[in-house]
Amino acid sequence: MMLNILIDDKKIEAEEGKNLLQACLDNGIYIPNLCHVKDMAHPQASCRLCFVEIEGEKKPVPSCSVTVREGMRVKTDTPSVRRLQRSAFHLLLSRHFIECKVCPANRKCELQKIAKFLKVGLKSNYPLLLPKAVLETGKQETDESHPIFNYYPNRCVLCGLCIHVCRTTHGIALLTFAKRGIDTVISFYGEEDVSRLPGDKCLACVNICPVSAITLKSLS
Amino acid sequence: MTETLHQCWTAIREEAKARRNAFKEAAVPKIHIGMATCGIASGAMETKKAFEDALAEQNIEARIHTVGCAGHCYAEPVVVIDHPASGFPPIFYHQVTAGKAKMLTNLFLKEGDPRFEHVYGATEINELIPSVMEFPRFNQEKRIIMEKCGRIDPEDIHEYIAEGGYETLVKVLELPPEQVIAEIEKSGLRGRGGAGFPTGRKWALARRAHGENKIVICNADEGDPGAYMDRTILESNPHQILEGLMICAYTVGARKALIYVRAEYPLAVKLVTKAIEQAKELKLAGGNILGTGFDLDISVFQGSGAFVCGEETALIQSIEGQRGMPLHRPPYPVEKGLGGEPTVINNVKTLASVPPILEHGADWYRSIGTENSPGTAIFSVVGDVLHAGLVEIPMGVSLRTLIFDICGGVPNKKKFKAVQIGGPSGGCLPEHFLDTPIDFDSLTAAGAMMGSGGMVVMNEDACVVNVSRFFLDFTQKESCGKCTFCRIGTCHLLGILDRLTKGEGREGDIESLESLSEDIKDGSLCGLGKTAPNPVLTSIRYFRDEYEAHIREKKCPGKMCRPLTAFYIDLDKCARGCDACVGCCPVDAVFTTRNRKKGIDQALCVKCGECMVACPPQYDAVRKVSPPELAPVIERPATKESHP
Amino acid sequence: MAHEEILSEQEAIEKDIRSRVAAFEKARGNLIPILQMIQEKQAYLPPEAINTVAAHLEIPVCEVYGVATFYNQFRFHPPGRHPVKVCMGTACHVKAGDVILENFERKLEIREGQTTPDREFSIERVACVGCCALAPVALIGDTVHGHMAPSKVEGLLLRIRIEKEKAEREKVRGER
Repeated sequence: MMLNILIDDKKIEAEEGKNLLQACLDNGIYIPNLCHVKDMAHPQASCRLCFVEIEGEKKPVPSCSVTVREGMRVKTDTPSVRRLQRSAFHLLLSRHFIECKVCPANRKCELQKIAKFLKVGLKSNYPLLLPKAVLETGKQETDESHPIFNYYPNRCVLCGLCIHVCRTTHGIALLTFAKRGIDTVISFYGEEDVSRLPGDKCLACVNICPVSAITLKSLS
Repeated sequence: MTETLHQCWTAIREEAKARRNAFKEAAVPKIHIGMATCGIASGAMETKKAFEDALAEQNIEARIHTVGCAGHCYAEPVVVIDHPASGFPPIFYHQVTAGKAKMLTNLFLKEGDPRFEHVYGATEINELIPSVMEFPRFNQEKRIIMEKCGRIDPEDIHEYIAEGGYETLVKVLELPPEQVIAEIEKSGLRGRGGAGFPTGRKWALARRAHGENKIVICNADEGDPGAYMDRTILESNPHQILEGLMICAYTVGARKALIYVRAEYPLAVKLVTKAIEQAKELKLAGGNILGTGFDLDISVFQGSGAFVCGEETALIQSIEGQRGMPLHRPPYPVEKGLGGEPTVINNVKTLASVPPILEHGADWYRSIGTENSPGTAIFSVVGDVLHAGLVEIPMGVSLRTLIFDICGGVPNKKKFKAVQIGGPSGGCLPEHFLDTPIDFDSLTAAGAMMGSGGMVVMNEDACVVNVSRFFLDFTQKESCGKCTFCRIGTCHLLGILDRLTKGEGREGDIESLESLSEDIKDGSLCGLGKTAPNPVLTSIRYFRDEYEAHIREKKCPGKMCRPLTAFYIDLDKCARGCDACVGCCPVDAVFTTRNRKKGIDQALCVKCGECMVACPPQYDAVRKVSPPELAPVIERPATKESHP
Repeated sequence: MAHEEILSEQEAIEKDIRSRVAAFEKARGNLIPILQMIQEKQAYLPPEAINTVAAHLEIPVCEVYGVATFYNQFRFHPPGRHPVKVCMGTACHVKAGDVILENFERKLEIREGQTTPDREFSIERVACVGCCALAPVALIGDTVHGHMAPSKVEGLLLRIRIEKEKAEREKVRGER
């Protein structure tokens, strides 16, 4: 059944059971997001960018975790929505090593896109929270332990899409979140045996990464 | 069915009572020793050994009875000696070291002299010895959850049964579950894990939820670094929790129950595992409980040390063998929890409250506490307070009564500054909150939170900025790393607080802390992140002047932030030739001046304060100042001269 | 102890662990209990053990690693023979537990999370051992030391070293 909802005074129709973020994106209404993909059963709700205000609710809510309801009235551009989005974005930038010029993601990078949308630059309001060595040398860390891919922890925004896509492609995920808190990274731990890997036949994780934190070794 | 139930139960109860009577009536002295973790840490093992050795040596017949903890941590190791032949009532002794144990065996048990100078009080009102029941620490408490703690042996199910335990379960097994849930709803019991969700409503939701394999979980993943009541209850009376858990399982229709205990609590794990085994042996757990056809499989799961796993969805993730990262709610676990099945998760104290409520009725429970927060609450009151330990009081008692009357106030003539309630999710409340009644809603209104019930009392020498930094350091380390605000936001909060406590604060820092805190509160995914800024926000709200002093004057009013303080020796007071402070300095920073007095080398000093402790009170020559520039410069003489 | 003896002892432990792991039902929910069992036997999780667990539960090795690195309980390096744990709970913090930690670090010349080169001591901070009334608290092995002071640190460490030397001397004498 199709439901009628009102987004910023624009009437749209959305299928029952769909999440609000997807409904907006399908109707050409952009809401910043990093950790969302269409086929995810349970939203991760981890990037904290897709906030919207819904009439009847006191505070902004992440739209990826809301199921559409008939007659729902949503605002995507209010001061409190923008405050949270900009704050989350600046926090992410404070962990992101900027070298757009040489970065393979340049011009297709989600962070660049969001910065433009939110009308903020790529310089974080917060002091950079990068390892001392990175700040001193101006060279970012690289995890080269995987035989085919390189991983750049100082680029990564921990959206988890690589893990998700690997699991949906292969049934199991050959990469994982490891460690905890601010130290959280994506890890390929233990998969050194090239013969067991899909190898360069599958580039799903490389292709889905919004910031090119995983790249093909042969290209870098 | 009813007949077998009553036959089985009567046999069990009579057996338990017979055992208890045999113990009580034995014409020998009984020595009750508190052996929970806190007691053991204070040396209860050595005390027990000393009693055993001394009894053997003197050839005295007596029974040693190991019990759990009654919450009187300030008095550990605690021993109660019941020596009827001496003519004295049972006596409570505090801080019974091995030496004291030997002495009491020789003088009290053998010769009948209770050694009045060591007596803390009699356990009951009598004419010979003042009773502990006359002390506010004992008589102002209201024990419902911890009623049996410290009185029974946690390793013996019969002792719990002899005290009326499992009676309520038997009663409940004959009632329709709806009636039990209605009674709990009527009692107004709210979840003791911190958030205060009505327990009856949770159970009702779970009962209505569809699922063949409903599960109930006891949440004993106590993570607040300063609260240990759940552990104490598990170690002192595990059966009351089991009884509550079984009642919960019966009413919601679950056949599987789990107790989620931190692996850092090895004794609690051991005791609760043993309690489950004993309950199974008596057919109080397992298949076909007491012949009623009700099956309940109870097991223990050990949590691996992640504070965030106290959050329901993260707890479930960890049981499923995943990283303990919270999920977005809804769906709530009562609808879709462990393995996709309806799951009820209740805190230890909530479950332990259930048997007494059903025993005495909802109206009785409602008569205790306040309108919206009935019943009692347990606090672990620690820090600068005389009688630290666990205190169970009715909701609605004021902080002043709790801290000053019951716990004896702030020692060493120091002034009260603040009390931190609710651990990393709670807040720091100043003196003018002392008369606030404590309940879920009043604490939330003050910006704090009931949380775990951890309560740290701080005197004038504590620094609220430093304590906020401590909590942020904790939450930042314990953040699971999933959502942006908690993972990165708490790091920035900590970074600013770090600078403040080092004297590197800047104008605007307070405002940055406030605005980032609000963002983290509104933006985070789970309760850990949403409440993480509370310590910062409350301390800024009530102690803004201290933050300003750190920023503008580089001064720590509590003289607790080490980079902002200095120690020096007042040469007018220092005694010539005294070396007390020299030996205790861990870094050899104390030197001898030309006139054989002492000075502190500021470059070497690590500001541990040992010299201040070591300096004899009649000299009292060591001074602590903030900012450090206030310390006068005393030159260290060249090495040759100091060691002629 | 001869080198071969140590090796064979290590092999025996690994064999024991493999058979214990095999006894667990192949259910994902058993992952954490299995890791806890290994850590209890070996005091840490060696890389081989992580592989063993992954093979038994038929899940990728990286998933085991991802879960194990999430929890405080699991360690990936062997601790010292006398692990020092300094309590960093609220009550201990207010009573300057950080000074105690620093003093252990200074005396042992290692940082928190490290082990001394002779594998005798390691230092860890723990969240709260629940002895708040005895603050500040430190544990050496399983023994709780309450009301700690910086000046007590050296004595405690010295006592362990003296006891060790004494035991070694007696062993040498016994062999003669």
